[in-house]
Amino acid sequence: MASHFLIMCLFSILVGAFFATLTRDTMREAIKAAALLALTMVGISLIIAYIMYFLPLGG
Amino acid sequence: MNGSSKDGSSNRLRVVVACVLAWLIPGAGHFYLGKRSKGLVFLAIVAVTFLTGLALQGRVYLATPEQPLSYLATFANLALGPMDLIGREATYERIIYVFPRESDRANYQDILDRTRARILAVTHEYGTTFILTAGLMNLLLILDAFDFGIGRKI
Repeated sequence: MASHFLIMCLFSILVGAFFATLTRDTMREAIKAAALLALTMVGISLIIAYIMYFLPLGG
Repeated sequence: MNGSSKDGSSNRLRVVVACVLAWLIPGAGHFYLGKRSKGLVFLAIVAVTFLTGLALQGRVYLATPEQPLSYLATFANLALGPMDLIGREATYERIIYVFPRESDRANYQDILDRTRARILAVTHEYGTTFILTAGLMNLLLILDAFDFGIGRKI
């Protein structure tokens, strides 16, 4: 698996699921929190990537 | 009085056992303290994160005197307990924690070659991040098990 985007999505899902399980008591709340965390991480990463697109590569 | 001190020492033992179990097997501390489903979910998440890291050609860190931050990274890896041993065996084909000195020519070259082989993989940085993250997750799980054990968290 060499797709950077898929690796980032997998990472976000795992970290989101971890913190959701750590901080929520019911399964329903945990699933909602995990989805929110994962989507937020992917969304913020895409926004940062979009901003960085305009930065010069240097060299 | 005697009963309450006995209760206190048995609770202390319970907390120590939970923390040691949490270090040995991710989620085992929660499982031991009665949070069984949480414990199993934590085990699955940490194991998948760690194994994905290895599959992505990540590596566990070796403490290197010239790179002080490598000590923190090695500590994060050590938080994985026995899983860290699997990572070291998979990366270096031996259990090693400190980068060999240059004077130890054969060992130094062998470890350098194995490290380079991993670094050349496109997904190496991702894999290493996954492995470090798995270690940090387990560190949080040990602290969380401690909080459950002393009653700070219900």
